[in-house]
Amino acid sequence: MNNNSVEILLVEDNPHDAEMTIRSLRKVNLANRLIHVKDGAEALDFIFARGIFAGRAVENKPKVILLDIKMPKVDGIEVLRQLKSNEATRTIPVVIMTSSKEEQDIITSYNLGVNSYVVKPVDFEGFAKAVSELGCYWLIINQASD
Amino acid sequence: MKTISNSFFLGRLSIKQRLPLLICSLLLVCIAIYGFANYYSLRKADLTIGRDRLHSITAQMNTSFSQVTALYISNSTSVSKQPSVIQFLKSGGKMSQTEALGELNKLKTDSTWVLAELLDSNLKPLSSIGKNNIASGLDMKEVIASANLNPDSARITRLYPVKANAYYPLISEVSENGHVLGYTIAWKSILTTSKAVAAFSQFVGMGSSFFAGNRDGSLWTDFIQPVSPPFKPGQKPGMVDYKDADGNAMIVDLQPIAHTALLFGVAVSEKNMLNDLGRFVDWIIIIGIVIIVIGIIAAWMMSRSITRPLDELIKLATAISQGNYSQTVPIDQYQRDEIGRLANAFNIMIGQVSLSHHELENRVEERTAQLATVNKELEAFSYSVSHDLRTPLRAINGYSVMLKEDYEGELDSEGKRIVKNIIDNAKMMGQLIDDLLAFSRMSKKELTQAAVDMQFLAETVVRDLLQHEQADKYQINIGVLPPAVGDEVMMKQVMVNLVGNAIKYSSKKAAPLIEIGAEDAKDKTVYYVKDNGAGFDMAYGSKLFGVFQRLHSQEDFEGSGVGLALVKRIIEKHNGEVWAEGKENAGATFYFSLPKF
Repeated sequence: MNNNSVEILLVEDNPHDAEMTIRSLRKVNLANRLIHVKDGAEALDFIFARGIFAGRAVENKPKVILLDIKMPKVDGIEVLRQLKSNEATRTIPVVIMTSSKEEQDIITSYNLGVNSYVVKPVDFEGFAKAVSELGCYWLIINQASD
Repeated sequence: MKTISNSFFLGRLSIKQRLPLLICSLLLVCIAIYGFANYYSLRKADLTIGRDRLHSITAQMNTSFSQVTALYISNSTSVSKQPSVIQFLKSGGKMSQTEALGELNKLKTDSTWVLAELLDSNLKPLSSIGKNNIASGLDMKEVIASANLNPDSARITRLYPVKANAYYPLISEVSENGHVLGYTIAWKSILTTSKAVAAFSQFVGMGSSFFAGNRDGSLWTDFIQPVSPPFKPGQKPGMVDYKDADGNAMIVDLQPIAHTALLFGVAVSEKNMLNDLGRFVDWIIIIGIVIIVIGIIAAWMMSRSITRPLDELIKLATAISQGNYSQTVPIDQYQRDEIGRLANAFNIMIGQVSLSHHELENRVEERTAQLATVNKELEAFSYSVSHDLRTPLRAINGYSVMLKEDYEGELDSEGKRIVKNIIDNAKMMGQLIDDLLAFSRMSKKELTQAAVDMQFLAETVVRDLLQHEQADKYQINIGVLPPAVGDEVMMKQVMVNLVGNAIKYSSKKAAPLIEIGAEDAKDKTVYYVKDNGAGFDMAYGSKLFGVFQRLHSQEDFEGSGVGLALVKRIIEKHNGEVWAEGKENAGATFYFSLPKF
């Protein structure tokens, strides 16, 4: 896959959650141009075309970022903070997807300017539905605004 | 605990008032005792001295009287021995008439004289000078007999009343060779002018008055006029106490006048003797007042010296009670009295209290820090539970669904049943985790206090819950629910749980009936949710509100066993109570009370 034509950036450390997310998106044909990174550091590298993603055209921003909160190295909140405080990346829609129902996380995320916040349900059908709906919604919105 | 008690009266006074009052009363008692004791001894002494003085005055005066009477008697005796008088009487008044009259004239010694007579032995008057009529009404025989004369002797007998006057005779026997020839009698008045008596009284002093009278009490005079004696008539000589016409206590000293049958008395009032005593009482009162005033001032100053440090202690204690430990009582190093010791003890106490207070504060701080740490750990724990426990669960669920979807054709019916059970249990566990998290989150959640429209809340909850049910199967009556004060989100949770339970447990009835209402109870409102569902055995009622406690099997009614525990925690956080009534297969009623709006 060409790193320059990514539409969805999935940031998720748990391979099972990632698999299920990708499966759900694939079902609605949204997984074609998706890249999965394992933690916040990689996500930032990808967005700002650094590290292993050096050489990527930084102006090709993903259409939506699905971001887990609890991750090794750099967590989701930190990623969100950096994205939203940078003029170049501020407009990329970010959907926080987490197991946590911690209110503090939700409040922090919205304060930082998150676009959506989804609590991953245990129930797979619910999870799949949420993921696919969000994916569609943000991709369409983002395309319209482009 | 023993309290410092005081009498009702003293308890109302401050120490500053009590001490002067005490000292004032003590002084008053002392002065009164001293005054009375002295008054009585002084009075006794005064009376003794007064009586002595009275006696000596009377004796002095009596001595003068005796001298006068002695003079009278010698004069009268000398007249009765004159040869011309003897000649005159012997001759039956025929001889030496002029000479005898001349001798008779010698009896006119002073102004008290009124009549002089020469009587023969038959008591017939042969010659007289002065007021003749005085003797005319008297029984001369008795007069002479009462004199009880010895030959050639003279005597003054007693007083005889004549009109408003009193006279006494001076009688001498005239005799020759033991043969009685006759008598010379000179009548004298005992009375004088009131002016003279007053002058004399003033001279004697003590407000004295004077009496003279017959020993038998037949006639008394006060030297001005005959009087009925104020003391008992026929008194023997000596001191006599009596009351005068005005009721004043009087003392009279009666003494016999020599050569007479007369008594002479000087009377004074007791009040006169006690003149000094009145002055003594006046002085005692004045000195007493001065002493009491000085005593009160001294006591006031003393109690001020006691209460001033006490006032400071009070001020300080107040400061301490407000948490100010920086001050101490200023102590005079040399003040070794109780106040000084109290101040010292107080300062030590302040130190101790301050120390304990700081220790306590430190300990509280320490504990708070510990608690905060524990709390944080707990938060981290519940965060982990929330996140980490759900993740593998989601994987179990997710992969089971994938298995079901992707390998449906390859699984037989038993395989499909097993996959379904895995999915259901994973969902169930997810629900349990969610409920448990909600429950633990409740305890650290801050309450928002606002008016909650319980009526609206109940209606909304019922509508929401019925969306997932066969709405027309249930009859739900909502009564009038007064508003409450509390956290609306939490109240909604309570309503959701209780109404949800009611729907759940009555769902198997043919005609489920649910009633939501409220009752008034003093300062609280009791809300209730009643159903005609499965009910419960009251014997297990206490288990209803415990976490993970269930009275029904998972097969009969699904549930995590957290709902009612959550209700209980929310209501208790709102200072309310929850309880339930029920009967197996006959419905249940869940009550919760909340403070009135």
